[in-house]
Amino acid sequence: MTKPAALSVKKISKHYQDGSRQIDVITDLSFSVAAGESVSVTGPSGSGKSTLLNLLAGLLELDNGDITLQLKDKTFSYRTANERSRTALRRQHIGYVYQFFNLVPTLTVLENVRLPARLNRRRDLESHASTLLAEFGLGDRLHDFPDVLSGGEQQRVAVARALLLKPPLLLADEPTGNLDAENSKHVADLLFSSCREQNISLVLATHSTDVAAMADTRLHLDSRLTPDKKSL
Amino acid sequence: MIALALLRFLARTPWSTAMALIGMALGVTSIVSVHLVSSSVSSRLDGLVPGPLAEYSHYLHRDKLNSAAYFTLRRSWRAGALPAVKQLSPFVDETTTLEGQSVRVLGADLLANPPSASTNTAAEQFSMNGAWVDQSLEGQLSIPVNGIIDAPKGTLLADIATAHDLLGWRADQLSYIGLALSDPFAGTIETAEKLLPGFGAGFPSAKPNLDLSPDWQLVSTAEQYPAREFGKSILFNISALGMLALLVAWLLIYQVAVSWLRRLWPVFDRLHVLGVEWQQLRLYFLFSIGLVATLAAALGLVAGWWLARWLLEMAVPGQEINLKLDSWVVFKAVGSAVAVCLLGGAWAFHQSQQTPGRRSLLVIITLVLLGGATWCVFQPQTGLAGGFFAIAALSLAASQMIAPLLIQLKQWASMIGGSYLLRIGAREALWHPGELSVAIAGLSLAIATAIGVALMVDSFRVDFSQMLDHRLKYDLIAQGDATALNELAHTNEPLTLASRVQVYRNTDIRVNGLSMELNTTRMDAFESSRYGYGASLATNNILLSEQAGKALRLSVGDTLAVSGETMTVSGLFSAFGDLKPRLIVDQGSPLAATIATELQIDSVAFTSDQPDALAASLREQFPALELRLQSDIRRVALKTFDQTFAITTVLITIALLVAAISVYIAVTTMRLNRQTGRQLLNTLGVNRAEQLLMNIALGTGLGLVAIIIALPLGILFGWILCNVINPRAFGWTIELQLSAEALLRSCTWGMLAAIAAGILQGGGREEGAFGER
Repeated sequence: MTKPAALSVKKISKHYQDGSRQIDVITDLSFSVAAGESVSVTGPSGSGKSTLLNLLAGLLELDNGDITLQLKDKTFSYRTANERSRTALRRQHIGYVYQFFNLVPTLTVLENVRLPARLNRRRDLESHASTLLAEFGLGDRLHDFPDVLSGGEQQRVAVARALLLKPPLLLADEPTGNLDAENSKHVADLLFSSCREQNISLVLATHSTDVAAMADTRLHLDSRLTPDKKSL
Repeated sequence: MIALALLRFLARTPWSTAMALIGMALGVTSIVSVHLVSSSVSSRLDGLVPGPLAEYSHYLHRDKLNSAAYFTLRRSWRAGALPAVKQLSPFVDETTTLEGQSVRVLGADLLANPPSASTNTAAEQFSMNGAWVDQSLEGQLSIPVNGIIDAPKGTLLADIATAHDLLGWRADQLSYIGLALSDPFAGTIETAEKLLPGFGAGFPSAKPNLDLSPDWQLVSTAEQYPAREFGKSILFNISALGMLALLVAWLLIYQVAVSWLRRLWPVFDRLHVLGVEWQQLRLYFLFSIGLVATLAAALGLVAGWWLARWLLEMAVPGQEINLKLDSWVVFKAVGSAVAVCLLGGAWAFHQSQQTPGRRSLLVIITLVLLGGATWCVFQPQTGLAGGFFAIAALSLAASQMIAPLLIQLKQWASMIGGSYLLRIGAREALWHPGELSVAIAGLSLAIATAIGVALMVDSFRVDFSQMLDHRLKYDLIAQGDATALNELAHTNEPLTLASRVQVYRNTDIRVNGLSMELNTTRMDAFESSRYGYGASLATNNILLSEQAGKALRLSVGDTLAVSGETMTVSGLFSAFGDLKPRLIVDQGSPLAATIATELQIDSVAFTSDQPDALAASLREQFPALELRLQSDIRRVALKTFDQTFAITTVLITIALLVAAISVYIAVTTMRLNRQTGRQLLNTLGVNRAEQLLMNIALGTGLGLVAIIIALPLGILFGWILCNVINPRAFGWTIELQLSAEALLRSCTWGMLAAIAAGILQGGGREEGAFGER
């Protein structure tokens, strides 16, 4: 039996304007992701992976089509939402992990992970932050600032922060792109297993075929291909 | 191709480019306006010395000076006995009444030095029996006028013989001899004065040691013209403040150069990887920043001229203002902008290629500066220049301490609590010492200047107010028409409304060759207390103003011979604003009796329970008198005081504004280079209101760091101004009052400037060096 879609992407398009030239980055793209499932997005540089994740995060406005995210009590439609409500959606219901510069340099490890709880006035989750960090092997680094952590440790902190609110959607943009093989596997394992356990939909952009292979579904973007040839 | 890439980058960040231009132009504006204001005031003060005397630096006085004494001295000089003297010339100088006008008659050897008149009546009418007069006397006198000269109001210049005739003096009588002395530092002082108008007054002026008999008294121009010296001293105080504004402006210009480099550095870094040599990149950088500096200098010159004009209109309303953008101010503006930019830029470029090295050199420089400042403060012979050097050295030492302070504070950053967004903002202020330390130093210096000057002015005001409390013990004062005053002083009608009547007489007198004012009155305990003296003044005692004590090098207990009478100095009193040194003796003293014929009634004062009624009664009896109530005098005196120092408020505001722009530029550059941090917060759902809160926290953090340095530095400035600069300049002391209001006011303005710089978001949406994709 097919699970109901938590995230639905319906015929979305996005272009950038470079002077008089229009660059169509995403054209009529559609897919959906069920709760607890994962999608890996692959493709060459410039194919629109980061743009897709930024659209899913509500950081960019759609040109056409719509994205909907199933929340506990309602369905959120990106098409009709203004910038303020998209910001609120990101704050409450989406986790995000970048390739690097993931952490606020002026907050300690614990403060970084607690930040989403503070922003959402969820003090009840604050104690969970240290538990999460301990589970991720960072129990002894709680009060360090990010600049003294290794790349792998920084990414684990970023994953912990993205998971703290147990959001319905977690986006990861090349989360292992800056790591060695061992750390890459460690972080990817954490991401996929945590999302699966907590019923979180995961959309992950990556160049790594190993990481991409860990996802339930693979989405390959290639701007040279016509929309109907995009694989899903 | 490289130049095109850079131009495109600058065009893509128009706001930041414009801010660099505006920031630097504002720095130049402050430099130009302070220079022009000081230069204008200095010119007016120089006008107090008539043209024929301008080339003489010292004057020789002696009792009953005559031409025989002059020619004896001249023969001695020609024989080589006075090698330090370059030139000497006799003068007649006395004020008299001519055809109902009070005229200062100045007689000079016009055959040797013909005057340069701004207007000649007619060349063929030139007559050695005629005179040159200032504008106010044109058409007022029957003597033939050869031309109009630039001189103080009521000045008449004539040949010595003509002056003798006008004054009714003997043909061999002289007033003094002007000396032009060779000074190895004269050229340096003149150049310093041109670059920093008013600064020349700060150079220590040692009296030359001339081999003369003891009956000659050598006085400097400063002692001969105390009013001019008084003005020059005020100007020096303003110039000292202007120098601090100049330092802040230089820091801003340097900050712009550093920020400019930081914006371009990622581009340079990539170009270097592609094989472009650093030397070539440095040239591109210096050319681009030099171009901005030149444009900013041009803008700053125009804006500075307008600002100076506005400042002067506010400070001296109603007076003609003639400001010239001469070569010195252009040199100073362009030099400040271009030189600071290029040197600072080259240094910043060099530093960017280096790994952080040892700071021991900076520590040594800081310690040397602090040592030098301490030495200057406690060595009075270093003069005003020493006091100013101490302020400049402390400023530079303090600015060196910002980066180490930020590094130290960063270690304690985890102790900053409160909301997470506030923590992020506040800690950001500590996180980037390399990018923010110069701007914070500028802000610190501006706040410290504001604190120092505010403490000085407030302390001065308290002392001034206390002096008024002492002096204004009388409820009503009558001045003005001499005849009416004389009648009032000798009236037989009882003044029933007055409980006490006090008559003041005065005269100008020379003491040890120095021109002073002598006051006589009934010096009982009540009157003596007005000068801080606790008892009746004995008839062989004398009170000296602080200026007189300084000029005569006398203190309490010393003796002084005046007009053949030996008096004991029993007290020194503050006399802020007096143009001449002042002496006070009891009207029953032998000295008062000796000079009785020279004494004239200056004023009559009354105590009364009904001052208004008494004033009305006197006005009816003596309509020619000027009657002033104590309350009016106090109000006018304090208003005048506040107006005098109003210009300092404007200069401080400029310094704070310049510092705020500097901080803004630094913060904008920091954000452009660290956009990912802000993007991350945006991704986490931090909204605009929360970002504003973070920016306020950042500004507050910057302000707090600046205040940590500025507070002790400003108090030190205040102490130096009150206890070093003013005693050395004016000859009076001011008791430093650590006014909480002055401290709070300055810190609040500094904090608001920092917060404003933090929350301005003009450049926030611009792209970094490589854009966002």
